[in-house]
Amino acid sequence: MSRLLRSLRDGIGFDTLLIILALSYLFVFAGLPLLYNVIISFQRVDVFSLGTLWHPFVGLENYERVFSDPLARRVLINTLIFTLGSVALQFTLGFAAALFFHQRFPGATWFRGLFLAGWIMPGLVVGVLWNWLLSGDFGVINHVLRSMGLIESAIFWRSDTAWSLYAVMMANVWYGMPFNMILLSVGLAAIPDDLYEAAELDGANAWQRFWTITLPMMRSTIGAVLALGVIFTLQQFDLFAAITQGGPAGSSTVAQYWSWELSFREFDFGRGAVISVLMIIVVLFVSLIYVRSTRAETRL
Amino acid sequence: MTAQIEITDVQKHYGNFHALRDITLSIPKGQFVALVGPSGCGKSTLLRSIAGLETISGGTMRIAGEVVNDMPPRKRDLAMVFQSYALYPHMNVRDNLTYALRLKRVPKSERYAKADEVAKVIGLEALLDRYPRELSGGQRQRVAMGRAIIREPKAFLFDEPLSNLDAALRVKMRKEVRALHDRIGATSVYVTHDQIEAMTMADHVVVLRAGVIEQQGAPLYLYERPANQFVAGFIGSPAMNFVPAFTGADGRSVTLEMTTQACLPIDLQVASDRPVTVGLRPEHLEICAPDTDGAFPVTIGAIERTGSSCYLFSEEAPEIIIVTDGATPVKQGEVIGLRIRPERVHLFDRESTLSLRG
Repeated sequence: MSRLLRSLRDGIGFDTLLIILALSYLFVFAGLPLLYNVIISFQRVDVFSLGTLWHPFVGLENYERVFSDPLARRVLINTLIFTLGSVALQFTLGFAAALFFHQRFPGATWFRGLFLAGWIMPGLVVGVLWNWLLSGDFGVINHVLRSMGLIESAIFWRSDTAWSLYAVMMANVWYGMPFNMILLSVGLAAIPDDLYEAAELDGANAWQRFWTITLPMMRSTIGAVLALGVIFTLQQFDLFAAITQGGPAGSSTVAQYWSWELSFREFDFGRGAVISVLMIIVVLFVSLIYVRSTRAETRL
Repeated sequence: MTAQIEITDVQKHYGNFHALRDITLSIPKGQFVALVGPSGCGKSTLLRSIAGLETISGGTMRIAGEVVNDMPPRKRDLAMVFQSYALYPHMNVRDNLTYALRLKRVPKSERYAKADEVAKVIGLEALLDRYPRELSGGQRQRVAMGRAIIREPKAFLFDEPLSNLDAALRVKMRKEVRALHDRIGATSVYVTHDQIEAMTMADHVVVLRAGVIEQQGAPLYLYERPANQFVAGFIGSPAMNFVPAFTGADGRSVTLEMTTQACLPIDLQVASDRPVTVGLRPEHLEICAPDTDGAFPVTIGAIERTGSSCYLFSEEAPEIIIVTDGATPVKQGEVIGLRIRPERVHLFDRESTLSLRG
């Protein structure tokens, strides 16, 4: 008995216990729901059979119905545009801001901190805020564009099918940019000053220093930021709910929003699950990139 | 000989802090100059000002005849070896060496041929494909040097390059750096806080304190004729002993203000009854019988034997350190006599601390 206790306390027994604890948590609260979601995607689940744990299997029927849906093509394109556009803009603006605050001027770190104010707000609040900004009749954005002479008449951002997706994207870029900036700032700060000094003495101008020192030294940070950006953008739900509700006519519906609509509006949980399964595959792939780039970080 | 680096009345202010004051220094082509001083003396600031990494607040700085006050570092054509080596972690040794050439758009084949050539000079042929993280401290040091010499710059700047190496390697690299300097006929400015490094490597030593050049000259000249008490105490190891004293009535001797009030003959004529500080180098003191003429007695408080030499510490205040032969048969508590040749006695004015030897 005492031997068992001792091994539990000092030996590998205790280590094993800790691993089991962490693993069982992950299995119960992440693994099982994920698995159940995958199973549901092969079953017929409607509002009447919702209460039961097990439902009739229908094979790939849910998948076929999702892909043959007239909205599927629109949603795929929207998701691609929204994700790539958001990540690209968040990243470039975030990087530019990080470089800007990396210059030593009074209050630089302070101002950078203030930028985080946007990021810590709840998504729904940000959505409401942007609803006001984007409003067709009295929105500030239309007012500014009009006074600069860029547009003739008001753009109805949220109800114009040509603009609705970009309206949400604008809000999302604003929302996610500070996070990009902070991560990239940390990466910038980790590059020792003497590398820049050495490069400067070696004859590199500011542009060459950026391309040959800053960018390669930031490679792992950039990989992580882009991967996280894709993951977070694919999780973005609040802004859609608050600004366009996926409309008008599905013009701003993206995969994650469609999945929610199918499950909780149409109560077709099978098809909702299909979309989440497809998204899980994408996110898994992106996570792989993330893990790889953070691993490279520790090696350098 | 033309001056490769010419510094005239250079000033550097950081806000209210005056980091460099009236620095004037001329470095002829091919010379190895050491900037030495305690930490915070401004030696690194001076080196970084030469490099252009700090902008000077006043005076003129010329490199190869050209005024460079407002010239950015990349246009000065100087190479610098950093204390941290500052190797590019994302490039292998070959790319580290040839980075400057790549910026100058030298074709790749030419660049790599040059890297091979330099690698041979500094003994890195086998390591060209390694990354800095895969190198030892000494190897990194060599890459940093190689990166400097591959460019054939107007001058080399060294910022305490050996301070991160262990003692044995430091002694070895000291010789190598100097040999490399001689082989390529370069002009070098070398910052160190270690006076031994400065003395052994340099042709010309500049001693700085609090942003001011205290004295400059050939290493042995600084050792033999220190201009003031600070230089006297800084150059030489162990440091010079300082004893307060008064000059004698005849101005040809000094009376030490120790318990024994001993009188030492000196070889120069000074004003009588003047308060001075006498400087006695530990290695110049000879042990004799306590009652010898012209000697003063001390009691031995502690003995450190290193085998090759023997350090004796007196019990009196101020403490006197004596360096003698390792086999000196002395015991703790023993009273010994110390004498010194009159021409080896250093005299400093007690107020101004300037040497009275002029």
